[in-house]
Amino acid sequence: MNVEQAGKTIEAALDLPIRYIDRSRAYYLALRYDNPYRWAHNQDVPFTSLGKPLTRSRVGLITTAAPFKPDAGHQGPWAPYNAAAKFTEVYSMPIEPAPDLRISHLGYDRKHTSAEDINTYFPLQRLKGAAAEGRIGELNSRFYGVPTLRSQRLTTQRDAPQILELCREDGIDAAILVPT
Amino acid sequence: MSLTARYLESNGIPTVIMGCACDIVEHAGVARFLFSDFPLGNSCGKPGDLASQRGLVAMALDLLETAGAPRTTVQSPYSWAVDPSWKDDFYRLDLTPEQISKAREEFDSQKAILKEKLETTRD
Repeated sequence: MNVEQAGKTIEAALDLPIRYIDRSRAYYLALRYDNPYRWAHNQDVPFTSLGKPLTRSRVGLITTAAPFKPDAGHQGPWAPYNAAAKFTEVYSMPIEPAPDLRISHLGYDRKHTSAEDINTYFPLQRLKGAAAEGRIGELNSRFYGVPTLRSQRLTTQRDAPQILELCREDGIDAAILVPT
Repeated sequence: MSLTARYLESNGIPTVIMGCACDIVEHAGVARFLFSDFPLGNSCGKPGDLASQRGLVAMALDLLETAGAPRTTVQSPYSWAVDPSWKDDFYRLDLTPEQISKAREEFDSQKAILKEKLETTRD
């Protein structure tokens, strides 16, 4: 049986996770772009164990979401892809008052994701809950934003070192990172 | 984001990634990954659904403590929908020539906006 018949993908037919690397390559080739994005690939993976119990740790939150910019066009629920809403440098913001972050500048599923509930892409309220319940020692008083600029060089050589510096400045013991 | 997590791990800070693109994150190789088989944009739970949002944060925190080696992926037990047909819709390939032209036009114009932003930043 060919499960890819009649516009049916194998992922939908068999309920497999979507293979985004394959799918995006095929998509951009179908659009007649001949230089598909090469996703980062590594054999070796660094690993650091938690240095102290989570109940005594300061946890940091890192996001690719962007602070709302009133002059940058549609950024609300069901917004089309909006590069004008992108930010180009690492930022940090306090967690109080709760920030207004949007994801219109990111390549998410425009058909099935409304982006109407910030808690689906920025778990600040849920982490505050975890801190209040004592599951973590504390949530760091500010969070950090990492730009997504289709440049692995910028991420590894410019942005990641800045994020590390912020983590050290704030004495962060562990970090939760949420890509969209 | 995977690259940032890897950088933090190499410099002594434990991390966990919450995400929906399993192949991309595992291809990059990260220490701890909580995978939700949801449409992209819902790494932290379903809209308006406190149970999945709380549950996923709890699982991410557990993973920080329990993972004993790199490339530890945990798949969340939450399901987006009984019918998996939403998986057909992202980057559909059955495009008409008109849809291809429109998609190219859109992609090129957004790329130009980004390019301009980056040039402004460097100035």
